[in-house]
Amino acid sequence: MQKKGSAPVLAFENVCKIYTSGSGWRSVLNSVYFEVASGRSISVSGRSGSGKSTLLNLAAGIDLPTSGRVLVEGRDLSSLNERARTRLRRDRIGMVFQFFHLLSHLSVEENVVLPELIAGGRSRQFRPRAQELLERVGLADRCGDNIQKLSGGEMQRVAICRALLRRPRLILADEPTGSLDDESSAGVMELMLRLVREEGSTLIFVTHSPELASLADEALSIHSGVLEPAPAFAARSEVGSASLSPGEAHSL
Amino acid sequence: MIRYYRLALAAHFRQGRILYFLTVLGVALGVAAVLAIQIINRSAVGAFRGSVQAISSDADLSILGKSGPFPEEVFLKALDDPSVERAWPIVRSEVRVESDSGSFFLDIYGLDLTAPMRIDWRGEADQLGAALSQEGWIAVSTPLARRMGWRAGDRFEATLGVERLQFRIGALIDIQRYSPQASSKLAVMDIAQLQHLQGGRGTLHQIDLRLRREGGAARSAEPPPAQTLRAARDRLQDRLGPSLQVLSLDDRENQARDLLGAFRLNLTALSLISLFVGLFLIYASTQASLVRRRAEFGLLRSLGASRRQVLGLILGEVTLLALLGVALGVPLGYWLATLRIDLVSATISNIYLLNEIESVQAPPQLLATAASIGVLGALLGALLPAWDMSRRHPRDLLSAITLREGISAATRPLAALGLGLLTATGAWYLAWGQGWKPAGFVLGIGLLAAIPMASPLAVKAICSRVRLRGFGLSYSVRTLSLQLQKTSTAVATLSIAVCMLIGITLMIGSFRKTVETWMSSTVQADVYVAAESWRGGARSDARLSDDLVKRMADFPGVEAIDRLRSRQVYSGPFRIGLAGVDVALPGGEQRFPLMEGDMDAAYRSALEGGVFISEPLARRSGLGVGDPLPLTVPWGEAKLPVAGIYYDYASERGAAVVDWSTYQELFGPGPPSNVALYLAAGIDAEASAEQLRQAFSEYPLRFNSNRRLRRMALEIFDQTFAVVRILQAMSLLIAVCGITLTLLILARERVSELALYRALGARRLQIFAIFVGKGLGMALLALLLGTIGGLALAAILIYVINRDYFGWTIQAHWPWASLAAQVASIFAAALLAAVYPALRASRTPAAELAKDDS
Repeated sequence: MQKKGSAPVLAFENVCKIYTSGSGWRSVLNSVYFEVASGRSISVSGRSGSGKSTLLNLAAGIDLPTSGRVLVEGRDLSSLNERARTRLRRDRIGMVFQFFHLLSHLSVEENVVLPELIAGGRSRQFRPRAQELLERVGLADRCGDNIQKLSGGEMQRVAICRALLRRPRLILADEPTGSLDDESSAGVMELMLRLVREEGSTLIFVTHSPELASLADEALSIHSGVLEPAPAFAARSEVGSASLSPGEAHSL
Repeated sequence: MIRYYRLALAAHFRQGRILYFLTVLGVALGVAAVLAIQIINRSAVGAFRGSVQAISSDADLSILGKSGPFPEEVFLKALDDPSVERAWPIVRSEVRVESDSGSFFLDIYGLDLTAPMRIDWRGEADQLGAALSQEGWIAVSTPLARRMGWRAGDRFEATLGVERLQFRIGALIDIQRYSPQASSKLAVMDIAQLQHLQGGRGTLHQIDLRLRREGGAARSAEPPPAQTLRAARDRLQDRLGPSLQVLSLDDRENQARDLLGAFRLNLTALSLISLFVGLFLIYASTQASLVRRRAEFGLLRSLGASRRQVLGLILGEVTLLALLGVALGVPLGYWLATLRIDLVSATISNIYLLNEIESVQAPPQLLATAASIGVLGALLGALLPAWDMSRRHPRDLLSAITLREGISAATRPLAALGLGLLTATGAWYLAWGQGWKPAGFVLGIGLLAAIPMASPLAVKAICSRVRLRGFGLSYSVRTLSLQLQKTSTAVATLSIAVCMLIGITLMIGSFRKTVETWMSSTVQADVYVAAESWRGGARSDARLSDDLVKRMADFPGVEAIDRLRSRQVYSGPFRIGLAGVDVALPGGEQRFPLMEGDMDAAYRSALEGGVFISEPLARRSGLGVGDPLPLTVPWGEAKLPVAGIYYDYASERGAAVVDWSTYQELFGPGPPSNVALYLAAGIDAEASAEQLRQAFSEYPLRFNSNRRLRRMALEIFDQTFAVVRILQAMSLLIAVCGITLTLLILARERVSELALYRALGARRLQIFAIFVGKGLGMALLALLLGTIGGLALAAILIYVINRDYFGWTIQAHWPWASLAAQVASIFAAALLAAVYPALRASRTPAAELAKDDS
């Protein structure tokens, strides 16, 4: 739910995404409208190829919509050049991936401080923050360890710390528990939600699991490029699918 | 499989064109380096053989003086031998021709033009009468006449000693039609005329002999059997005595080959290093290409292709690329050879006193050898990665996970093996190798082989220890250890090039400085005078006159005068330059910086008939102070006691100096060929040289001030090493291609990592900088390894190879400016090499992350 007077952290306005290859084309997102207010957590679910990852790529400015607008904190990503989008991603967005994407040549702590290194900082300056995050995820004693020594769940916790390091306004997580077993999945998901709340960030995560989706403040699902409230969630939510119609942005 | 290969070929070439291009480039540059040097080597010997053939093609044997011209009576003695059917007396002279189109030395042969010969030097319209009676009649080669704009009947002037001679072109002979490699600067005139021009001495330079054939005229066109030739040669040698030598055409060619032996060996060794560096490039590019296609091989294997078939497929492809490389490398090598042939030709002519190279020779067998080296080299470079790929299990090949590099675990054993190899070659040298001339090359090979073996450990140890300070250079260097097999190969390749660069630069720099120091000690006189037609190396018979020398001695400001006569003589088996000078000249002892022997005693001994010998001669002959030096003189053999051994860098073959009076005793009286003038204190040498030039302008003389002479000597020195610099540059170029290749592979294989950086907010410029940093990091590591290797190589070159091969003591010197320039050029090259891969890497979109979730 959006607070009055403040811009949503993320807004999709009539977003369409069509991929072309050779003479053919494929519509992945079709007139998607939604807004996400600060501090909220949203889950997005759907079948493979339904457009979940495309949605996250558009939100991160990695990809641009074919039509419509994607706004992050009120800034239309299509109006920004590549450099500005990169800066926005670096400064305002954190990302968590299904396969963690941790670098094996860096230690646990170095992986966490990587975004800050990319932003031009010195690793020494951000060690305390990295150590604090690692402590909060229970990996304080693994700072100097090689990444390959960690379990899947531990790796994802490190990836979450990396995403949170620069205190981004928006966290985008693409199937963050997709590579973990059920037990680890719930633990990691709960941890992520807790940390995001504590940090005051906004979270959008993609998941296949209805259980995990239900942990979010709101749950959406994509079918054939159309975004709608997840069925189970819609039943108990005050927000109905009717609010996703064009011209009436779905405020979450 | 061949059908499959045909189907897949075009697609492979399209997808991996950069990698294929680099393989082709590696082969092409390696082949070009080897071929260029072999062409140069062959052309150098070929030029000599061609000119010998042009004059002596009818002869089976030649008689030559071991200490210059010999008496005419030898001709009758030779004819007297029952095996000799015919004999031709020959006189030689070298004159200087000055013209608007340029000046050059013309090698004139005085022949008996009445005798029948294969080349009819009398011209198409038989001009025997004119040749014998017309003063200055000369037959010149058609190419020279064309170059100079001469026609039959034209006249030209040339100088010989202090004389100006007039020649009239009587015939134009297309020498190169008979002997394609013969020098165009070769002319023929009647022997009596040339003897007259030389002052009417009753001496000859050469007698060509034709032996009787068993079977008479029917077999006269065939050469005599080798055994008959050898027997006749040995018999004549015994008969004519030790002051003459009887040689077949092959013997003479072998002498020239021996003369150039060290020079050729050095160039060949350097070209092989370029090939060696090229092999690394092929290894790296093949490996990269195979890794990219691992799934294809996995599929083929799982569909039933055998290991041997996969291996054959890979090696077949490499052969195809190698053939492309050969097709590029052969013309490139030929072009390189022709590009700097003038410099090599000048070296051969100035230092080794052989004929200039006018045309390059690339016979089919040489091209075939170069092509074979290219193909075999490429197969050798590709064998290891090809074998590795063919033995992998199909499951591993099809796995999405990057193949594990086996090298990480092998870094220590590999480095230990390299160290062991280095230690073993060093120990072998100390124990057994010191008396063996090529031992230095074995040491060098051991060193160059140890460097690539040490590279993986060095890269791993250094890069993994780099402290991560930011997303900059430290990050670039740290990540170099990730794909060790690739980065360490690139570092090894560049290290070898750097090692060569630094080692040879140190050697040349030290050598140059040593020569400079030596010249500042030995080039003591203020003005040096020689005839225009005089050439260094004691080969010319251009002389000054006694009257002229006296006038120079009386010239205002001249305080003392030093005379010099010189010639080529034999000391045992060694052909050396022998000079006679005024040993007693006050203060002249500095001319002979002694490395062994007491200065006063040495001078006393020299004045009493002793001889100073140069360091190279002392090393070759094993003689010390007091030992007798055998010298072949016109009347037999003289033995002079060695008065002292002096440092000398003018001739690797060795030189000896005796007092003027001793020289006159050995070779009879005669005027000097050079004089050195010592001016009174305060007189400017340059101004004085100019005054002398004007005062003696009617004579064809050269007056060089001390400073000018040193400068000219250093120019010749630099010219000698010009080809070495080209080979250095080629190795560096190949090595730099290795950096480009490695970075391209990294950009290709680590797409998801690059995409992650982009997803985390890294700008393109940052990725670009990281890759350029990787290039610079590799250059830094190669510089570190290469410098260590280069210092060792310099020590081997200075203290082992130069001493054993050339007999020179070189003082180590640090040419800081050259070294700094080379370090800068290595970094600049690495920077350039990194630009394209860095651009490619920087274009990696963050969206790539979704495509490769491995």
